[in-house]
Formats: sequence, structure tokens, C-alpha cells
Amino acid sequence: MRVDYYLYLSAVLFTIGAVGVLVRRNAIVVFMCIELMLNAVNLSLVTFARMDGNLDGQIIAFFVMVVAAAEVVIGLAIIMSIFRSRRSASVDNANLLKY
Amino acid sequence: MIPIVVLAVLGVGFAVFSIIAGSLAGPKRFNKAKLESYECGIEPSPQAFRGHRFPVKYYLTAMLFIVFDIEIIFLYPWAVAFNKLGMFGLVEMILFILAVFVVYAYVWRRGGLEWD
Amino acid sequence: MSDFHSPSIAYTALAPMLCIGAAAIVGVLIDAFVPRALRWSAQIAAALLGLVGALIAVAVLAGTHTVTADTALSIDGPTLFLQGTIAVLGIGSVLLVADRSPALDGGAFAAQAASTPGSADERAGIQAGRIQTEVFPLLMFAVLGMMIFPASNDLLVLFVSLEVLSLPLYLLCGLARRRRLLSQEAAVKYFLLGAFSSAFFLYGLALLYGYAGTVSLSGIQAATLTGQHNDTLLFLGLGLLSVGMLFKIGAAPFHNWVPDVYHGAPTPITAFMASATKVAAFGALLRVFYVSFAGLGWEWRPAAWGVAILTMVVGSLFAVTQTDVKRMLAYSSVAHAGFILVGVIALNRSGLSGSLFYLLTYSLTTVGAFGVLTLVRDPDGEATHLSRWAGLGRRSPVIGSVFALFLLALAGIPLTSGFTGKFAVFSAGVSGGATPLVIVGVITSAIAAFFYIRVIVMMFFAEPVADGPIVATPGGATAASIAMAVAVTIVLGVFPQPILDMANHAAPFYH
Repeated sequence: MRVDYYLYLSAVLFTIGAVGVLVRRNAIVVFMCIELMLNAVNLSLVTFARMDGNLDGQIIAFFVMVVAAAEVVIGLAIIMSIFRSRRSASVDNANLLKY
Repeated sequence: MIPIVVLAVLGVGFAVFSIIAGSLAGPKRFNKAKLESYECGIEPSPQAFRGHRFPVKYYLTAMLFIVFDIEIIFLYPWAVAFNKLGMFGLVEMILFILAVFVVYAYVWRRGGLEWD
Repeated sequence: MSDFHSPSIAYTALAPMLCIGAAAIVGVLIDAFVPRALRWSAQIAAALLGLVGALIAVAVLAGTHTVTADTALSIDGPTLFLQGTIAVLGIGSVLLVADRSPALDGGAFAAQAASTPGSADERAGIQAGRIQTEVFPLLMFAVLGMMIFPASNDLLVLFVSLEVLSLPLYLLCGLARRRRLLSQEAAVKYFLLGAFSSAFFLYGLALLYGYAGTVSLSGIQAATLTGQHNDTLLFLGLGLLSVGMLFKIGAAPFHNWVPDVYHGAPTPITAFMASATKVAAFGALLRVFYVSFAGLGWEWRPAAWGVAILTMVVGSLFAVTQTDVKRMLAYSSVAHAGFILVGVIALNRSGLSGSLFYLLTYSLTTVGAFGVLTLVRDPDGEATHLSRWAGLGRRSPVIGSVFALFLLALAGIPLTSGFTGKFAVFSAGVSGGATPLVIVGVITSAIAAFFYIRVIVMMFFAEPVADGPIVATPGGATAASIAMAVAVTIVLGVFPQPILDMANHAAPFYH
């Protein structure tokens, strides 16, 4: 079985996530796209670990998952606080800081 | 092969039975809440707010769950290789768990675990 | 499976980080168990003790060269120099954060971050004199991340420390007491863009891991020297990794968040971000490029030239057009990131020591400048619009001249620390074969000097505005922080040699 297909899949997922961040307007959806990017990276890491036959990549994927969870908690806290004061999570409505 | 087929037939059969039985036996009363998105997904934002109330309890519990749940991930590799890691692994893991417990104490003292 | 050898960990060499980590954890415990009335002062004590302890530990460790925790951390000259700088900046920022004197309307932070802006809940919290004491543990965790960041000797530790320093900052940005919508918006912006850039960093990490089969910086260097691996992975990985780090230092074209976030965040946090984050991120950037990719200088330097030129030009030109002092300082910090990049690109020993020295001078001046911003106030908070500053120097000569000193230092006028720093970096650039870059640097410095001096002219030679802002008498903490910045700015301008020597001895990296 060709292992590098997983790398292509990971690159495609990462790109979908990156494009999503750029085109979507809802902060929560943007955030979901960032999570998709992180998980695409995890797929690469595990694939590389398999190709090289060492475990580093799998361990790094663990760290990425933990960091992603911490990011979720902090991110949702921030998004929720702005949601409560503005009643909208649209990135377009956040425009007080434009010059 | 046979057990899998039997199991599949049983599973499909149960699902079909439940749907049919539910639609025949259940009362049909519709209200607005039933048409809203179930459990997750984004609430349609203009209508979802009356006043400035926003149900926050479930959110807080869920977030605390995610944070503490994910820390377990570091225990798995340690548990699998417990004998090889020896004293060093044990000490490091105790330090890690202590750090997590400090945060747990904070959450507990500041009322993060109370539902109301 | 091979046998496990437990890595040796040199705990003494990690003492600065352990001090900060302990202070952060004690801070969490204080918030959990100390009664509310005592929390604020207990938090200040814990944070300052931790920072001073870290500073002493750095001083004791001076001259150490060791790679510890199985090549994960490298405690060497640059690491200790930067950790010392970050500890000093931490002290300065904690002092700014700690000031709750009545003249400052009870501090810069929200009474309760969870209460909706404008709600009765919020007013009740302010009436009761509450404040979010979690600011200090968050700040200390950020400092911890910043201390590990430049010490990281492998990409995984680099990533984890990047997140440890970023996550608390995202929260701190949203905690302003006044103009809370602005502050929350800054937090969302910073968070989404920061998470986006760290995803790029991470993909770069994965590709470099695929390239070298290891994430240790020395291992990647060794792989680049053999030249037997897949170059596509190498250059894609290096590029993506750089995006993540250039975002943190605020280099163009990844600088868009800087003015907005610096503007919206509470000013003491802006001071902290503009100084300490930049120091830590440049430390990591220097280590990655000098240790792992020094042999590939021919490949990455053209791109780095482009980024440096763009950063200097964008930073200075946009700063000229600003009408808000806080945003102007934000763009000036972008321009300064470009100047320091000249030192990075020099890729020689004097480039490294020049960058270290520049980081020290720039960051302390920045803390002082933002400290002054907290003092110039309107009834509804800080008066940051440039027009409100007209004639300020006449009405309160001391604050006016202190701010003028900081601006002159940022502009790089002789006899201030900024001049010494710029001289060190630019001369390293020339010796490193980047003369055209240095010429661009000098021209943009001249443009930058224009807008700094414009503010000084406005403060001292314009008619004071009627009902102008009040210059608050600083509480002891803010005064101490600003005084420290003034002292360093003057001493490093007039008598820089000892610190220059220190920066020279700090180089090179040990790995």
C-alpha cells in the first residue's frame, strides 16, 4: 500500500481548512476550519512516523491534540463573550477596530 | 460470516421497527423547539436571544470536560510502557498530575463544578 | 523496541523557567484559596517574587552552556540573555498591571470578564471594587512560554511553548475594563489569526519531520548537510514554519493583526505583548535559522530580504498616517521588527549579538512608552487620539519629556539606547553582506523619525487643547516601571559597553 496517498489527503484537508478560514464568515465555523487544519497535520505526522518507522510523529500528534483542546476552550470562551455582547458571531460584524 | 449477517438483520430490523412503532404509537404535538437544531450546530442567531440570556451551564461543563479529558492522553503511553519507564516515568507523571490537580482545585473552589 | 534510557534533566539550568512556572501555579492556588480581599496583593507578590527569582537564577547561571532534557532545551548565552530580558520586561509589565490607584480608575482590567458589557452585573462588579485577579497567573504562564520559546532546541518544544505563550495572551487581550467591545474584538481577531498561523507553523513542523525524520534542530541541520533527503519537504516546511514565527514577531505581510490587537488590548498587556512577545519570538527565530538552516542561507535569504524590506517600509509608512498614538506605536513596532530582521539576515556572530542588544533596548523603551499612555486620560479612559496630545508637554513637562525621550529612543537618535541598538544591527548587516538592506533600513528609519518627532513637536509646540486630557499622577507601580525604562534608555544610550559586551559574549548558539 502506498503510504504517500495519506500525505496528499492531509495536504488536501489542510488546504480545505485554510480556504475555509479565509472565506467563511462565522467565527465558530472559521474556528472549525482551523481545527481541520490541525487534524490534517496530525495525519501527516502519523504518516511520516509510519514511513520512518519511529514513534516521534505519533507522540507529536498527541501533543497537537492536547494543544488543540486547550485552544478550543480558550477560543470558545472568547467567541462566546463577544457573542453575548453583540449577539452575533459573524466576523464581518466585528469592525470597530478598522481604521 | 453467518453471525454478522444475523446481527445486521437484527440491527436493521430494530431500526425499522422503532421508526414504525414510534410513528404509530407516539402522540404528535409540534412546537417550535422541536424544529430547532438538535444538540449541536449553530442556532439561528437573531431569534435565539430573548433579552440577553444565553444558557451557559452546559457550555461550561462541556469545556471543563474537554480539558480534563484530553489530559488522559498522556497517561496512555505511560501506562503501556510503565515497566520500562520505571521511576523516572512515575515521578514525571506524578508532577504532571499534580499540575492538573491544581487547576482542578481552582475550578472546584471557584464554583465551576456547581450546576446552579 | 529499544530499551528506555531516562533523559537527564539539569534542573539547576532550568531554574529560571521553574521559578516562573512555580509562580504561575502558586497564582492559580491563590485564586482558588485566598479570600477575595487579599487576592490582588497576594497575586502581585507571587508574580514579582517569581520574576525576581528567575532574574537572579539567570544571573547565577550566566556562562552556562548545556543541552538538557534529551536535547529538548538548550541553555546557552542567547537563551540566558533573552530570559533575563523577558524577566525584566515581566517585572515592568506586572508593575503596570498592578497599578489600581484611583487616578487610573481602579486598574485596566475588567471587574468580571464574564459579565456582558453595559449590564447591571458589570456595574455592580465595578461598584464593589472587583477586578479579575486571574490576570497575574495568565501573565505568568505567558512569561513561562516566552522563557521556553527561545530555549527550545527542538520543534515540538518550540510549538508547545508557542502555544503556552499565546493562549494566555488571547485571553488577556479581551479583559479591558473600558471599551470592552473593542477589547473583545481584539481578542477574537488575535485568537483566530494566531490559531491560523500556528496551524501553518505546525504543518511546517510536520513536513520538516518528514524531511529529517526528527524534530530536533541539530538533527534537521545534520539532514540538510547530507543533502540526501527530499528538498520539496524541506523548503515547504521551512516556509510554513517561518510563517508561524513571522506572525508572532509581526513582520509584514503577516502584520495585519498588530495595530488592531495592540489598539484594543488593555494598555499594560499591549506593553507586554509589544515587548516580551517580540523578544521571545525573535529568540526562537534566531535559533531556528542560525542552528538548523544556517547552511541553507543562500536559499532562504532572498525571501527574508523581501520580508525585511516590506516590513520596514510598511511599518514606517503606515505609522505616518496614523492619528492614534497607540496605533502609531503598533506600526512602529512592525517597523522595528523589520530592523531586527536585518540582524537575523546578517547570519553571523555580530548579527546575533546585535539583535540581542536591539531586542533589549527596544523592548524596555516600548514598555515605558505604553506605560506613559496609561497615564494620559479622558473621563472615559485613555486619551489615545493624537489631537488630544497637543500641548501636553507644556501642561505636564515631566510626562511630556519622558515620552519624548522614549520617542527619540525609538527613532534612534544618538545618546539614547535606540541609536546604539540600530548601530549594532546595521553594522552587523553590512558585515554580513546585506548592505542594500541596511540602506533601506536607514531610509525607513528617517521616515520613522518623522512621525516620532511630529508627536514631540505636537506635545511641546502646539497650543494645549481646551478640556484636554488629564495627566494622572502615576501610582508607585507605574512610576517604578516607567522609571526603570527611562534609566535603561539613558544608560544604554550613554554607556552601552558593558551590555554590548554581554551580548557579544552571549553569542553563539550552543546545540
